Amino acid sequence: MPLFSETGSTTILEPLPFADWQQRPAWPAVSLANTDPVEDLAPHVGRLRLIVLSFPKFSDGRAYSQARLLRGRLGYTGELRATGGVLQDQLPFMLRCGFDSFESDQKGFGEALAKTRTLFSVVYQPAEDDRATASLLRLSRRNVHPAV
Amino acid sequence: MPDTHFYQPKHFYQYDDYDRALVGERVEQFRDQVRRRIAGELTEEQFKPLRLTNGLYLQLHAYMLRIAIPYGTLSSRQLRKLADISRKYDRGYGHFTTRQNLQLNWIKLQDAPDALAALADVDMHAIQTSGNCIRNVTADHYAGAAVDEIEDPRIWCEIVRQWSTLHPEFSFLPRKFKIAITGSPNDRAAVRVHDIGLRLWANEAGEVGFEVIVGGGLGRTPMIGKTLREFLPRDELLAYLEATLRVYNRYGRRDNLYKARIKILVHEIGAEKMREEVEAEYAAIKDGALKLPAETIEAIARQFAPPPLPHRPAVVAEVEGLKLEDRDFALWLKSNVAPHRMAGYRIVTASLKPAGAPPGDASAVQMEGVADIADAYSQGEIRVSHEQNLVLPHVAVEDLPAVWRALGRLGFAEANVGKITDIIACPGLDYCALANARSIPVAQRISNHFAELARQHDIGDLKIKISGCINACGHHHVGHIGILGVDKNGVELYQLSLGGDVDFGKTAIGAILGPAVTADKVVEAVDALVHTYLDARSDGERFVDTYRRIGAQPFKERVYAAV
Amino acid sequence: MAKNLSGDLSVASANRLVDGVVVFLDDAGQWTTRFELAAVARDKRAGEILLERARAEAFDVIDPFLVAVIEDDDGRFEPISLREKIRVSGLTFDAIAADAVRYA
Ligand code: SF4
Repeated sequence: MPLFSETGSTTILEPLPFADWQQRPAWPAVSLANTDPVEDLAPHVGRLRLIVLSFPKFSDGRAYSQARLLRGRLGYTGELRATGGVLQDQLPFMLRCGFDSFESDQKGFGEALAKTRTLFSVVYQPAEDDRATASLLRLSRRNVHPAV
Repeated sequence: MPDTHFYQPKHFYQYDDYDRALVGERVEQFRDQVRRRIAGELTEEQFKPLRLTNGLYLQLHAYMLRIAIPYGTLSSRQLRKLADISRKYDRGYGHFTTRQNLQLNWIKLQDAPDALAALADVDMHAIQTSGNCIRNVTADHYAGAAVDEIEDPRIWCEIVRQWSTLHPEFSFLPRKFKIAITGSPNDRAAVRVHDIGLRLWANEAGEVGFEVIVGGGLGRTPMIGKTLREFLPRDELLAYLEATLRVYNRYGRRDNLYKARIKILVHEIGAEKMREEVEAEYAAIKDGALKLPAETIEAIARQFAPPPLPHRPAVVAEVEGLKLEDRDFALWLKSNVAPHRMAGYRIVTASLKPAGAPPGDASAVQMEGVADIADAYSQGEIRVSHEQNLVLPHVAVEDLPAVWRALGRLGFAEANVGKITDIIACPGLDYCALANARSIPVAQRISNHFAELARQHDIGDLKIKISGCINACGHHHVGHIGILGVDKNGVELYQLSLGGDVDFGKTAIGAILGPAVTADKVVEAVDALVHTYLDARSDGERFVDTYRRIGAQPFKERVYAAV
Repeated sequence: MAKNLSGDLSVASANRLVDGVVVFLDDAGQWTTRFELAAVARDKRAGEILLERARAEAFDVIDPFLVAVIEDDDGRFEPISLREKIRVSGLTFDAIAADAVRYA
C-alpha cells in the first residue's frame, strides 16, 4: 500500500507484530493490533522509531486512543503510522491524535494530506498536535483586553 | 449587513469568530465530501459516516436532516431561520424530536451543503447529530427559568458541546453517545437513561458539583445508569468525560451492534470495575490541559446570565377574571403554565400536540408564529422540550391571556401538557428506514379519541410514549403507557408496557403487559387501561401510582377482554 | 418469512443518490420514480438477474434491493409489505402544509 507523510520522510524499518516484537524488544519498529496494550511499550518508547497502529475498518476508532496515549502519556516521538482503513476524511482526526505517516490506497490521498491542515482553523479540544484551543485563545485575548 | 441579532441582547451562549469559523469550515468540508460522493469518488459505505456526522440520514422517501438545537435553546431569529430552511429546502414543516433536535424529512443530498450553510448563518449546525460519536448534549428545557434550579445546566452543555465537537479521538466510537445535563433536583432531562447523565447538586459545604451517571439508555436493552461519581468538582468535568470516553472507546464492544453501547460495557464488567478504569484514567489526566480555568467557566456562565426581567405584577385581575370565565384558559393555566423563578413570570409550554396532529410537527408558519410570540412576550427566546413541545421561558403573568390567544391562533394552545394526548411519538414507518410499524397514525387515533379536554384533565397526568421499533426514539420504555410497534409477518402489532417513568429518583422501565395487539385495537386497549385506572384510583393518585399500587393484573384482564 | 403464494414476483428498487427519492428499475434498465413502470421478475431466478442488473446500474442510486410484489386480477402490481407500500405511495397521514396554522 502506498505510504504518505506530510514531510515525505518515512522509515523503511520493517515493523514486527507485537507478539514477535515482545520476543525481540530491542527491535525499533513494532506493529500493534488495536486491542494490544500500548501501555506495555512504556519502557521502550525511547528506543522505538516506528509504531504502526491499525484500523481494521475505518469505522473502528480504537487506534485513535492508542495514538494519543503513545504520544501524550508515554511521550513517544518516533514515527506513528496508521494502516488499514485509512481514508482522507479521517486525516483531520488522525493528525490531531499524533499520527504522522499513513498507508492508504485511496486515490488522491496525498493531495488531501497536503491540504488537511488548511481545513479547520479552529480546534476546541487539546490533543497531540499542540494546537491552541479556542478556549485558550479566548483566554489570552481576554487578558490582552480585560474588558471583553 | 445590518442584523438585528447583534443589537438584541441574548441570554444564552452566542458564537464568537472561533465558533463561526469552525462551523463554516465544517460546511465547506462537507460540501467537498458531497461533491466527491456524487462524482463517484466515495462509495456509499465510505460516505455514510460522513453524512451521518453532518446530520444526514437516508430515510424511506428522502434524506432527513437532523439539526441540533443545543440544550434546546433557540432565539426567535434562529427559529425563523429554521422555518425558512424548511420552506426552501424541504416541504415547509419540521419535526421536533425527543433529543432537542429538529428533523427535516425531505432534504436532497445536493441541497444539504446549502441548507447547512444557511443554518451556519444563524450559528447553528447539524454536526454530530448522528453517527457513532458524541451527540447533541441535551438539558432541562426549563433551564434558567426553573424555580428549583441549582445552576443553569446549559453552561455545562456548551462547555461539553465545544469539547465534543470534532473530537479527534472520539469520532469513531463503538456506537452513538448521548449526554444529558440537569441543574435541578427535579430532573427534566432524563439523565438516568443516557450514556452519561450529569446532575448538578450542592454538597453540604455548599459546593456545586456533578453526580456522574453512566450506562443508562433505552433501546434494545433498556438500563438505568449507575452512579460512577457522587460528586465531581465542576472544573474537572471535561477530564472525567474524556476518561470515560477513552475507556469506552478502547474497551466497548464492536463485534455486535446491539452490544456496543456503553451500558453493555458497564453491565458486562460491572459498575465497580468501570469506576476503577475511569478513575485510573481520570487520575492520569485530571490536572492536565482539560482542567477548566475559572475564567473560562465564568466567561461562558456570564452569557447565560438570566435576562433582566422588569418587575411585573404577580396577581393580575384580568387573568383571574378570564380564569373564571373561560374553562379552556383555566385548564391551560393548570397544565401548560409552570412557575418561574421570578414572581410575576411563568414558563409557558406551547403544545405541539393539538388533537389529531402528528406529535412534534410544526409548519413553517407555525414556527414563525412562535418566534413572533417569543419576541413580543418571552425575551425572544424559545426552548425545545424532550417531550416534543416548544417552551416560552419568560412570560409575564400579565401577558398570559395574550400569549394564550396567540398560541391558540397557531393551534398550539391545547391544554394538554403532561396529559394523555401529550403523546411522544417517533416518526415510525411513515418515514423511518429502521421502523417496524407506524407511530404517528397510532398517536393521532389516541389523540382524537381522548380529545375532550375536561376528560383529559380528569384522567390527569399520563404519559404515552410510542416507538416504531426497538430503537426507542419515542422513549416507550419510560412511558406510563409505552407502545412499541413490532412487525409480525408484515403485520403491524403494538406491544404495551406499563409503569415506566423518568421523574427523578423514580426512573423506571415499564413492564410488558402481555401479547401485542393489532393496530385497530390500540385505542380500545388504551381506553381499557384508562378505565381500569379510573375505577381503581384513590384520591390524588396518578395513573402510574395506581398501577404501582394494584399491579398489572387488573389492567391486563380488562385490556385483553376488550381487544 | 410468510410464504409468497403468488410465485415470487419482485421488482428492483433503490433510493436515488442526489435526492433520496424512491426509484425502480424499468425494462430498459433505467431508474424511474414510477412504480408502474418497474420491470417485474416473475420467479426467483429472474429476480436474481434483475437484482444483478440493478446493481450494475447503481452508480446514481443507493443499495438496490428486491421488493416482493403481488399481482391483482387486472394485472396491477402492489408491494406485499407495508413498508414497501409506504415507499410507493407515501405517508399514510396528511403532513401539515407549509402555510398551515393548524393541523386539520
Ligand atoms: S424508534 Fe425506530 S422507528 Fe422510531 S424513529 Fe427510532 S429508529 Fe425509527
